[in-house]
Amino acid sequence: MARSLGELLDEFFYRPDEDVGPLFEVGAAVEPVAQIPAEEAPEQYVAFALAGETYALPLGVLREVLRVPPITEVPRTDKALLGVMNLRGEVLPVYDIKSRLRLPLGGAGLASRAARVLVVKSDAGDAGLVVDAVNGVVRLKAAELEPPPPGLLSAERDCVVGLGRSGKGLFIVLDVDSALP
Amino acid sequence: MSGSKPLADFLAEAAETAEALARGVAQLDQARGEEPDPGLLNAIFRSAHSLKGIAALFGQERIAHLAHAAEDLLDRLRLGQIGASDEVLNGLADALDVLQGLLEEASRDRASDALTERAQALRERLASLASAPETTEADPLDQLAMDPSLRAVLTEYEEHRLRRNVRQEVPLWKIRAAFDLNDFDQRLATLNQRLKGLGEVVSTLPSSEPGEGAGIAFDLLFGSRASRAELEAALKGLPTTLATIEIRAPGPAPASAVGRPSAPVAPVVPDALPPAVSAPLANLEPVPPAEPSLRSLTRTVRVDIERLDGLMNAVGELLLIKANVQRLAEAARQPGVQVLAKPWGQELFRESRLLERKLDELQQGILAARMVPLGQVFDKLARLVRRIAREGGKEIDFPVSGGEVELDKLIVEELSDPLMHILRNAIDHGIESPDRRSALSKPRRGRVSLKARQEGAHVLIEVADDGSGIDHARVKEVAVQRHLITPEQARELSPREVLNLIFLPGFSTARAVSELSGRGVGLDVVKNNIAYLSGIIDVDTARDRGTTFLLTLPLTLAIIRALVVSVSQRVYAVPLNSVLEITSVREEDIRTIERREVMTLRGQTLPLLRLGQLFRLPESRVARHFVVVVGLAQQRLGIMVDELAGQQDIVTKPLGGRLRHVPGISGATDLGNRRTVLVLDVAALVEEVLVPDTRARLPLKASLI
Repeated sequence: MARSLGELLDEFFYRPDEDVGPLFEVGAAVEPVAQIPAEEAPEQYVAFALAGETYALPLGVLREVLRVPPITEVPRTDKALLGVMNLRGEVLPVYDIKSRLRLPLGGAGLASRAARVLVVKSDAGDAGLVVDAVNGVVRLKAAELEPPPPGLLSAERDCVVGLGRSGKGLFIVLDVDSALP
Repeated sequence: MSGSKPLADFLAEAAETAEALARGVAQLDQARGEEPDPGLLNAIFRSAHSLKGIAALFGQERIAHLAHAAEDLLDRLRLGQIGASDEVLNGLADALDVLQGLLEEASRDRASDALTERAQALRERLASLASAPETTEADPLDQLAMDPSLRAVLTEYEEHRLRRNVRQEVPLWKIRAAFDLNDFDQRLATLNQRLKGLGEVVSTLPSSEPGEGAGIAFDLLFGSRASRAELEAALKGLPTTLATIEIRAPGPAPASAVGRPSAPVAPVVPDALPPAVSAPLANLEPVPPAEPSLRSLTRTVRVDIERLDGLMNAVGELLLIKANVQRLAEAARQPGVQVLAKPWGQELFRESRLLERKLDELQQGILAARMVPLGQVFDKLARLVRRIAREGGKEIDFPVSGGEVELDKLIVEELSDPLMHILRNAIDHGIESPDRRSALSKPRRGRVSLKARQEGAHVLIEVADDGSGIDHARVKEVAVQRHLITPEQARELSPREVLNLIFLPGFSTARAVSELSGRGVGLDVVKNNIAYLSGIIDVDTARDRGTTFLLTLPLTLAIIRALVVSVSQRVYAVPLNSVLEITSVREEDIRTIERREVMTLRGQTLPLLRLGQLFRLPESRVARHFVVVVGLAQQRLGIMVDELAGQQDIVTKPLGGRLRHVPGISGATDLGNRRTVLVLDVAALVEEVLVPDTRARLPLKASLI
């Protein structure tokens, strides 16, 4: 037998929730709590990589983070829709927002070990976003977000709320409802 | 507050009571012109009474007031103070309609002025019906040679029954029965039992002359046409004495005044209310009430507690199995402990078998709990049919059968509106006016029947009328007028294809615009609704002999059996209830007719759909295609797929808020290997592939059936 019984059983008892764990550990390591200035409580963002750039979404819109599950393509729909996944009985659409952000497609993609699906809440219905990797949780002050430089961003990038800096890191903060097709 | 618990409770309870009331009134209505059954009248009266009670309890004043007016009217009817005349029955039927409307508004926490006014007007109408002139004839009870002290203790209802017996010249008896105190209740019951078949026990009164010793005596007033000898035989062995109550010759009041003490009996054509009664409504009635949906107001299903206990047990056993599987898992995960693969596997296999059995039990149990009898919607339809017939001046018999057939609650709900449309069509277009029917030497009364029966995993519902049938020429004419087809196409259509035209959106043969069918909604809506339920609709019609609509529906929607197919390595599920058969076709046997691919199936031409092509999947080369023949309404379509992977029970889930309208896909399901599989929307596919065709490129050379 190629795989051990234990492995098979792990798969049998697979719970996507278990995948959420590491995210918060990473987040804690990236951004020590001690650095927070007292006057303005910074908000928490989940930082992730897309085509080499680092993006961020408010932690409040995040439901959970998963390893990329099997995705079923849906014929005759938006190109950005990779398909649907089954999250504990709930059917959710999974999107690749790279095209929307005018980022080069391809790369390591779904097959990469680091790739994750962010399950986000949105008004039109919850959805999954495929990202190249999740970097962790960062704390950014909403008031200190820089407006997106006009020349830099094309019309398709209107889903960008602003730029946030934390230490050496530069995060492109997205609005989830506009980022989803 | 809308949706709050007490309101939901009230609605569930009130809707049920209103339904019981409606059933009673419908029964009363069927026996129009006959002496109403006292038991039935009592039951209806009680329904109205309890509706009033619960409505008042929940502060639903409009409902309480109307129910109160109905209760008053029913009380008078019950006491024989008024007769079950047509206007009384019509008043009650209208009251039910308005009550339904009021309940519907209550469910949305609304109170429209229009309905309030209607309810108010109806209350006045019921009140005026109830206050019909008191009988002027001599009270027949005066003719009875009966002890005044006895008469004084009779209730109003008992007096009424006594009076009725006298009017019908039923001989009255007084039975004196003396029993021992120890067992008088049982012996009284025996006595009643023996008398039951022979006549009516009007009243049982403790006798004014006490029996001997520790005994107790009763006077039973008994109306019976049985002879003295028969009665004596029935009373044999019981300590009773039998005496007749003399009926003296009637006084000056003529005996012929036996009929109803109410207003003159209305003519048989039912919409003629006496002007005095209908006057307050004159300016309200012409505005037809907004088309009331017959859907239930509540999303409640009443479940037998035993069914729930069964479910509970199944869940308990599932938990046991889960514990066993967990134990097995732990055993395998122990580091360093070598588990013997074979016995371990056997044990796991046993548990999985058990799990399967229990899940099956649970599934059956839940499906059973969702089942409700079709009678729930049939009762409402009966009321509607009466109203439409009355409004259209038609005389109609409406025999209903199969109300006991059970279907999933969801389907029963979704069925009510399509059935309503079909029935309206049958009455409005199908059944001719009484005069025209006479001219055609048909019975004046039309007949629209509603039948349901179960056949395997399907329920068949048939709506048949004996009216004029569908006029093929007229259908073609209208279709051409509406630019649905060209005149040339019309000439080439087969009779079947002509019938298909009536299901097109925007098609309506109503020459006169009436409340029911002139609004351009009709059979296309019916077709869509039935298709949504994975049902099939068939029409059969014969000129001047009538039309029959046959709906074939699956028993349940919650868990459906699906055929799993694959195309270019993609797996899809096709609901088996829309699959008619499976066949195969070789590439070289595919023909084209006007660039549409077809195949021949048992001598008939079947349009084909290459699913891979429609879904723009990478092409897969196979020499032999499987063809899944699906049916929707009158249409048949062969869906070409690469492989068949068997059947499976699936629970279809919606694709989620963002993907509500994916063409050709109705949802997704999980086949158990954590892979999501899309479920094909057969109705949409057939529509997409065939209907533009029907509209733009008719005629289909091939008959679709």
